[in-house]
Amino acid sequence: MVSKDFDHTVKFHEVTDPGGNIIAQFPIVETTLIGPTGQRRNLPLLFDTGASVTTLIHSLYPLLGLHSWDEGIAEQTGTANKRITVYRYMIDLELFGKVIRCPVHLSQGLEANPIFMGLLGRDTIFNEFGFGFWESTHELFVTANP
Amino acid sequence: MRLTEDFIGNLRKSIDSVTTGANSPKGILEHLDKIGMECYVTEKGGLAVKYWQIFPGFVSEEHAAVIRANRSSQAEGSRMDWLSENLQSIQERYAGQWIAIGNNEIVASAPTLPELLTLIDDIDKPFITFIPTEPPIWTFTYGIKRF
Repeated sequence: MVSKDFDHTVKFHEVTDPGGNIIAQFPIVETTLIGPTGQRRNLPLLFDTGASVTTLIHSLYPLLGLHSWDEGIAEQTGTANKRITVYRYMIDLELFGKVIRCPVHLSQGLEANPIFMGLLGRDTIFNEFGFGFWESTHELFVTANP
Repeated sequence: MRLTEDFIGNLRKSIDSVTTGANSPKGILEHLDKIGMECYVTEKGGLAVKYWQIFPGFVSEEHAAVIRANRSSQAEGSRMDWLSENLQSIQERYAGQWIAIGNNEIVASAPTLPELLTLIDDIDKPFITFIPTEPPIWTFTYGIKRF
C-alpha cells in the first residue's frame, strides 16, 4: 500500500441561494499571478481536472501586461459544445508556496463568475504538485513535493 | 531560529501596550474599528480583541518561503471564505464592478480592471474578482443539484 503525505488542504467553497441552501461546491485555489514587472495579484481559480491548460477569462489581460487579450499565440480548443480560439501566454504563478512558470490561455469562452476567474488546468500544474481528492469531506489535499 | 525570552517579552509588551486616544467604551470601540482590529464585547462586559501585528525580521525571506509553503495563512485563506459567505450582498452592491478584497473587506472597486489596478497599486497581493451583473450559472462539474 503506497502512503502519500500532503501538506495543504483546499476546502470546497459553498455557494448558497438566498434561502441559505447549498447549490454548488467548488475547490477554489487562491493563486498569485506574477505580472511582467513583478506585481503580485491574487485570483480565485477553480481546480479543474478536465482542463488541459490553465485558462483565464480574457478580460484579465491587463494583469499580464498586455494591451489586448489576443496578442498571444492563437490556438483552437474545445469547450462543451463548440471549438473556440484562445490565446496562449507563458506566465509565472505562485500557489501552495511554490512559483511555477506555466502556459495559460486567455479565453472569451469562460463566463464571468465572482467565485473563480479561471480554471487551474493540468499542464505543468500536475507535474509540480501531487493531489488527493476526498469527495466525502469536500476537500482537496495537495503536496508541493510529489 | 531560536525564539529568545527577549523576543517573547517584547511581543507581550506590544500586545499589552495597545493604546487609544479614546476615553469611553464607545470611543475605544470606534477606534478599534477604525484601525481594523476585530473586536467584540463579551456577555460579562469584557473586551475581546483580535488583531495582527507584524514583527519585521522574524526570519529571512528564504526561510519565510519555506515556512509559508508548509503552513497555511489564516488571514490569506479567509478572503475566499469571506467572498463566498458575503456573495449575495456583494452582488447587490457591486454588480458590474471589478473588486479587490483585503482583510475581510472590499478595499477598492472600479468599472474596469485597469482602473482598479491604479487604485490598488500599493497593495501586496490584492484578491481580485469581477462581479457580473447577471446571476452566475452554476453548471460546472462540482455543482450539486439541490434546487
